[in-house]
Amino acid sequence: MARNRKNQSAAIRFGPALKAFLLCAAIVICCVGYIWQKQQISELSQQNLKREARLVELREQNDKLKKQLAMLLSPAYLDRRVKELKLGLMQPQPTQIWRLPEPVVEQSAPERTQQYAADHSRDGATP
Amino acid sequence: MVKRLQYRRLLMLALLLGVAFAGLGYRLVDLQILRHADLQSQARENTRRTFQFEPRRGDILDAKGNLLATSIFVKTVCADPILIGNHQAEVAHAIAPLLQLKEAELAQRLMPRTRQDDKGEIRTNRYVVLKRKVSAETWQKIQETMAQLSFAAEENITSKKEKAFYNDLRAKAIYPDSTDDQLRTYPNLSLAAHVLGFVGMTERTNRGARFLETVGVDGIERTLNSKLSGVRGWRQTEVDRQRRELVYLREQNIEPHDGLNAVLTIDSGLQHILESALADAMQKESPNSISGMIVRPRTGEILAMAVFPNFDPNSPGDNADARRNRIISDMNEPGSTFKIVVVSGALNDQIVKLTDQFDCEHGRFHYAGRSLHDHAAYGVLSTEGIISKSSNIGAAKIGIKMGEPRLYQYIRDFGFGAKTGIPLPGEIGGWVHPVKEWSKVSIAQLPMGQGLTATSLQMAMAMSAIANKGMLMQPMLVDRLQDQDGNVVVKYAPVQARKVVSEDVSRQMIEALKTVATTDGTAPKAAMEHYTVAGKTGTAQKVEKGHYINRFYASFVGFFPADNAEICIYVSLDDPKSNFHQGGQVAAPVFKQIAEKAANYLNIRPDRGVETGLQDVLVTNGGEKTPKAVVSRVP
Repeated sequence: MARNRKNQSAAIRFGPALKAFLLCAAIVICCVGYIWQKQQISELSQQNLKREARLVELREQNDKLKKQLAMLLSPAYLDRRVKELKLGLMQPQPTQIWRLPEPVVEQSAPERTQQYAADHSRDGATP
Repeated sequence: MVKRLQYRRLLMLALLLGVAFAGLGYRLVDLQILRHADLQSQARENTRRTFQFEPRRGDILDAKGNLLATSIFVKTVCADPILIGNHQAEVAHAIAPLLQLKEAELAQRLMPRTRQDDKGEIRTNRYVVLKRKVSAETWQKIQETMAQLSFAAEENITSKKEKAFYNDLRAKAIYPDSTDDQLRTYPNLSLAAHVLGFVGMTERTNRGARFLETVGVDGIERTLNSKLSGVRGWRQTEVDRQRRELVYLREQNIEPHDGLNAVLTIDSGLQHILESALADAMQKESPNSISGMIVRPRTGEILAMAVFPNFDPNSPGDNADARRNRIISDMNEPGSTFKIVVVSGALNDQIVKLTDQFDCEHGRFHYAGRSLHDHAAYGVLSTEGIISKSSNIGAAKIGIKMGEPRLYQYIRDFGFGAKTGIPLPGEIGGWVHPVKEWSKVSIAQLPMGQGLTATSLQMAMAMSAIANKGMLMQPMLVDRLQDQDGNVVVKYAPVQARKVVSEDVSRQMIEALKTVATTDGTAPKAAMEHYTVAGKTGTAQKVEKGHYINRFYASFVGFFPADNAEICIYVSLDDPKSNFHQGGQVAAPVFKQIAEKAANYLNIRPDRGVETGLQDVLVTNGGEKTPKAVVSRVP
């Protein structure tokens, strides 16, 4: 004869409750994890966007500086500045240039500094 | 009884629920099946966005890597009239000074306008372009100004909707176009303007979207447009309600490929030297125009090319005359510089020698019913003398001796009557009539540079051929194309067009041309202190309505050091207004001015009158140096 349910012990009824709790916890963890992951993706996306914008900004700045440098290096500008600052700079005259011709290197056979164990070249023997 | 009532209620409830579910089901079918396509496209329109990315136009650099043309990204400032409401006047007052527009005109443009779309629906314009090519700094100022904008009507508002309206007005009513535009700038202003050219805008359509594109209009900008332009990129993505991009929903993200950088053979230092000298001459001689170029004969590289009047490519203006590159697109009779063709041809065919004597008829020679003149009454001159004195009669006699077919062949071989192939738009080939169209006097006229037309470039390249041991080179203007990291993508090598005369003949011609820049020649003013110059003067009468008039083209083309030419310089003045009009008087001094500075700049070894250092130093393996001579003087 089956026992009355009312007579079942508390310990036996705790098992399904624990299972249900664990199941719920797992579902909650999954949901929270999913949301956290989505949040991370969104956050990283925003960071990515900001960095892309920064990259574009830096490129534009670089272009601007490149242009500025080119203007400062332009021959007409340098010429004008030299005159403005009265630096008296001018290119040397050919008579002021002392030209040294390229030295001619004498080709000679390299001296042997190492002695080989079997040196056939000295006695004329072939290997 | 109660049970029946309950059943009835249950039935009613079930019926109501059934109707409700049927209604929902119908709605579901309507939305998901019947109107699926429409709604799907609407939903896509709301969230999907395609952004176009403009590739950066490649830079143009000189031979030493100096920037000649570059691009900077700029904004196209737009407005959404709906978000502005009736505050056009306030917005226009705030931003008109920044955009450099008239306030009233701007306020007018901010007014909403309606139009009927394809489906017949009334739509209000939400995209009004206020100004293009606005710098990033100006755009930042506009943003700040708009953010700080306050309105009188704003103080009394309480509703959220109105607050949101003003917030949107400040943040979104004025916005930049999503596609960046770029501004082409030339940091050296007018330097090498005729070589670089300039850019313009053209409207193009891509996937239904219209946009303006930068294209080269003239010069290298035009010739290399496809290489400089690059390839457009795009991004297909989704946005949220605040129009913020949802990066993780990006579907396609294709980066733009920036245009290639073009490295020219032009040297900005030499270009500046050339332009400064031409500008001085322009002031002194007041010609209609003045042109000049520097060529490296060995390779055909064009190191500098300038024309005055010139222009600033940053704002090319409407003066088409100033924008024309006269060196390649203007043709005129070359005059006496052309004598190099007939004399070198005759020497090459061994018809004459440099020492052969010709009777120059004391300045007047009748041939085929026409009278030819010299500028002085020369008697007997050698072939070399004909070159140094620039005798028309002597050159005509050499031409007659040579014969029509051979003369024509040499004219064509030297590159006259055909385009040189320089990579610049607008080049013309000049006119050289075939022999069958020659008159009886042509054989006497052509040798002195009359009866044909040539461009300055052709003349410079012909002289360079003599300087280059008789080898005619194709003019070279682009050295290489490289990517943004400096990796070479295409390298252009010098191209030999053809061998025009033998090496020996070129040597003989150089000997003859050396005499021109001496006191016995026509251009003593071209002589340099430390270099031997070989060159030829030219003074061609201008033609108007088929008749020669008393106006002249004065030119000088020469190279140095004569026996080992490093550079060839061409100078031409169109109608100089000073007391003189001869090439030797007005063009030769300009040549000298350019040549001396260029020699200094390029550090060309002098071939006379300069002491050199230790000669013939022998270095042995031990490292000891044995000088054979301490100081020697180059003859």
